[in-house]
Amino acid sequence: MSGIYVHIPFCKSKCTYCDFASFPDKLCYAESYMACVYREMAKRKKELESYKFDTLYIGGGTPSVIDENYIAMLVAAARKNFRLAENAEITIEMNPGTVSAKKIEAYLKCGINRFSVGLQTAVDSQLKDIGRIHTLKEFLLCAKLLKGQNFSADVMLGLKNQTAADVVKTIETAAYSGAKHISMYALSPEDGTPIYTDYLNGELPCGDEVAELYSVGANKLKELGFNRYEVSNFAKKGFESRHNLNYWRRGEYIGFGVAASSCINNVRFTNTFDLDEYFKCILSDNFAVINSENIDKAGQEEEFIMLALRTEKGLNLSEYQKLFGYDFLQKFSPQIQKAREYTEVSNGFFRIKEEFMFVQNSIIIGFLN
Amino acid sequence: MTNKSNIRNFCIIAHIDHGKSTLADRLMERTGQVSERDMEAQLLDSMDIERERGITIKLTPVRMFYKAKDGNEYEFNLIDTPGHVDFTYEVSRSLAACEGAILIVDASQGVEAQTLANVYLALENNLEILPVINKIDLPSARPDEVKAEIEEVIGLDASNAPLISAKEGIGIDDVLEAIVKYFPAPDCNEKAPLRALIFDSYYDNYKGVILFVRIKDGAVKAGDRIKTFRSDKIYEVVETGVFAPNLSPKNGLSAGDVGYIAASIKSIQDVAVGDTVINADNPAAEPLEGYKVVQSVVFCGIYPLDGSKFNDLKEAILKLQLNDASLIFEADSSVALGFGFRCGFLGLLHMEIIQERIEREFGLEIITTAPSVSYKVIKTDGEEIFIDNPSHLPPVSEIEHMEEPIVKADIYSPPEYLGQIMDLCREKRGVFLQMTYLDKSRVRLEYNLPLNEIIFDFFDAIKSRTRGYASFDYELIGYERSKLVKLDIMLNGDVCDALSMIVHEDSAYTRGRTLCENLKEAIPRQLFEVPVQAAIGGKIIARETVKAVRKDVLAKCYGGDITRKKKLLEKQKEGKKRMRQIGNVEVPSEVFMQILKTNKD
Repeated sequence: MSGIYVHIPFCKSKCTYCDFASFPDKLCYAESYMACVYREMAKRKKELESYKFDTLYIGGGTPSVIDENYIAMLVAAARKNFRLAENAEITIEMNPGTVSAKKIEAYLKCGINRFSVGLQTAVDSQLKDIGRIHTLKEFLLCAKLLKGQNFSADVMLGLKNQTAADVVKTIETAAYSGAKHISMYALSPEDGTPIYTDYLNGELPCGDEVAELYSVGANKLKELGFNRYEVSNFAKKGFESRHNLNYWRRGEYIGFGVAASSCINNVRFTNTFDLDEYFKCILSDNFAVINSENIDKAGQEEEFIMLALRTEKGLNLSEYQKLFGYDFLQKFSPQIQKAREYTEVSNGFFRIKEEFMFVQNSIIIGFLN
Repeated sequence: MTNKSNIRNFCIIAHIDHGKSTLADRLMERTGQVSERDMEAQLLDSMDIERERGITIKLTPVRMFYKAKDGNEYEFNLIDTPGHVDFTYEVSRSLAACEGAILIVDASQGVEAQTLANVYLALENNLEILPVINKIDLPSARPDEVKAEIEEVIGLDASNAPLISAKEGIGIDDVLEAIVKYFPAPDCNEKAPLRALIFDSYYDNYKGVILFVRIKDGAVKAGDRIKTFRSDKIYEVVETGVFAPNLSPKNGLSAGDVGYIAASIKSIQDVAVGDTVINADNPAAEPLEGYKVVQSVVFCGIYPLDGSKFNDLKEAILKLQLNDASLIFEADSSVALGFGFRCGFLGLLHMEIIQERIEREFGLEIITTAPSVSYKVIKTDGEEIFIDNPSHLPPVSEIEHMEEPIVKADIYSPPEYLGQIMDLCREKRGVFLQMTYLDKSRVRLEYNLPLNEIIFDFFDAIKSRTRGYASFDYELIGYERSKLVKLDIMLNGDVCDALSMIVHEDSAYTRGRTLCENLKEAIPRQLFEVPVQAAIGGKIIARETVKAVRKDVLAKCYGGDITRKKKLLEKQKEGKKRMRQIGNVEVPSEVFMQILKTNKD
């Protein structure tokens, strides 16, 4: 399986936790930017001729902030340049504060069939706190417009003053308004973002408190019929994100636009994070890659393990054998022995036990070289 | 060549920071030994650490020529001495190589404990002592009072003591003249069989061990077959020479000379400081006096931070030992720390210096265990053993009783800090001997103290409680029976041998509690709850708990940026490398050092 990722680096305003490539003040460049993205795609056409893509993911930033016609043209460009499966999963990320009936109609018309909505929290004061431009009401409106569609909602843990009740309310809000998929992840305060100050001042919930929120949230999700398939991803049966799953399976993907990452033929590469630089490269008929790394066999194996152990199902033993030529259980016997209390083997998979999902790093690094 | 009656062999005695190296530099400069611009700060302190800390550890002799006012040219051999109590024996051997000693006394601070100790050493070696009052340029200088103090405390005539400022170059000529006038020429017997005192040595990669010697009797030249009194190994002399201040070859040394001998000697262990070099074909009957086997006083375990670097550590210690015969070690292993070395040192400073040199000169990261002293254990079957590693202590049932080393400490302080010092000594189980007022502003306190109480932080504590005014010196006086227990630390039920220590029964509970508290802070949370317990012979006396970690997960995967995730995990993995596995608990290496800081003064 392989996927296409397109990064739209525009936003109405920057959230306080965001340290990703997004430029709230550069929305006026959207048209030229998209033109560059189409051009970048065309430039990759030949090289990716043999690939059949199963997913297209339009992320950001806030893809829904730009004119819906650009998005439609983007989907068309993807189809024109690459072999994108008929039944491909085509996702767009949306901020509830930027949505309209007209936009959603256009998205559906161009073939988008999955929506990822940034709810984050159902508590307005917390939304305001982290600089989100939308309110709970706007989310509900957005959900209404998406009624009957396959949509996902993002839920954030670890916000200032967030209680377990807030998390439950947020999950219930998402579930009752029709989300088929919920991403629940912990805020990670990065140096240089405004929220980092809150973190330094001890105003954000500590690790233990976040763990507690996660535990409450995970239970609630289970109760509401959402199955965890990866540490921060939960879905109703059949609604797992194929694009995401491709990452965890160490599938191939090609990224377009600023800061987009790719992994093709065991080479990982990333585009520049600088918008001007990106323009310059593409307009001078070059790629905008700033770093690229060949992943050797050992690296592939490490990635495979690290990514697979994030998933609920775990590491597929026969797939591992096929890819790397060893029996995983044999090769890692001492490590498995050491981690025996936290892991299990069943139905051909090696996985981290449910109750240790949220402390998986220290278990995973035991399997890295 | 210089007539023997024109030779002056002398050393400089001074308290740390009283200007010893500076005066030495001035003497060299004034005698034209080195020009001012060639001097790199202070020449004699040749190791980086010495220069940084402003202390001299290793002696480097130097030869100078001085044209005196009487019209004659004199040869001066200056033998520098280490200024720290740890190196008393080395100092005594250097002194034995001289006829005279310059005693530097700071014009504002007066006589200090270490000065006194070394003055007595010099007197024991029958040296002529020339007091010199330094730093007279400072506003706080009180030369007359200090002169009186010298006469009162040491009993030396200080009326003719040159008043100098080594830093400013004031009074240097007076010192040079006084050296000629007051210090005797060496007593020479060139006809007698060779007897040369080894007062230092170092290892040269090409020439082997270079012996620093003072020829007492006879002569030695290239081609001679020599041996030392305590070893049967015979060596052929390859080169002899003098210090100028770098080694400069000179064929033949004879009675009265200070110089070096190179004889392709492979191991510094065979040529101990204090031993006597004799001619193998015409051996002297008696060795020179004063030889002593140097005893280690403080011990600790040294382990590589990265377990795979054991061989690098071994190499480093071996290399250091080539130049430092007083460093002893043996391979040791710890359940917690893996393979490493148990090392013995002359004292705490010596230990610190070695640790620092391993890290600095060899670029190795090391873990050191808590310093320990050597305890005498009398077993129920009557056997007497010495134990310096707590984890080697026999089971309680086999111990009849234990004895610990005791030192006699001299503490000099202004009277206003007496209360604080006495409190401290009481806390450290000190036994008060006596108190003497040296003058209105200085008191000498004498205490007997268990050595294991002063190896942790006594020096720092005394400095901080007296705002640095007190000085302190000690000597080992023997062993005393004591109620000692082994304090074990258990992590998740497993004893961590590297954290065990021998402590006095009365302080065991406090120590145990503090240790548990410190460890609780220092040990990162694991996937399970970790009880941290202190125990004496299986009885738990303190407990803390490190709670299980609840969150350790990477955030959302933005746009498939796996590389960043991988890096974060790799970083975490790197951090794990610095951990030691104790049972199933992972403990950062730093913990073993942090917990030494048990007393929160």
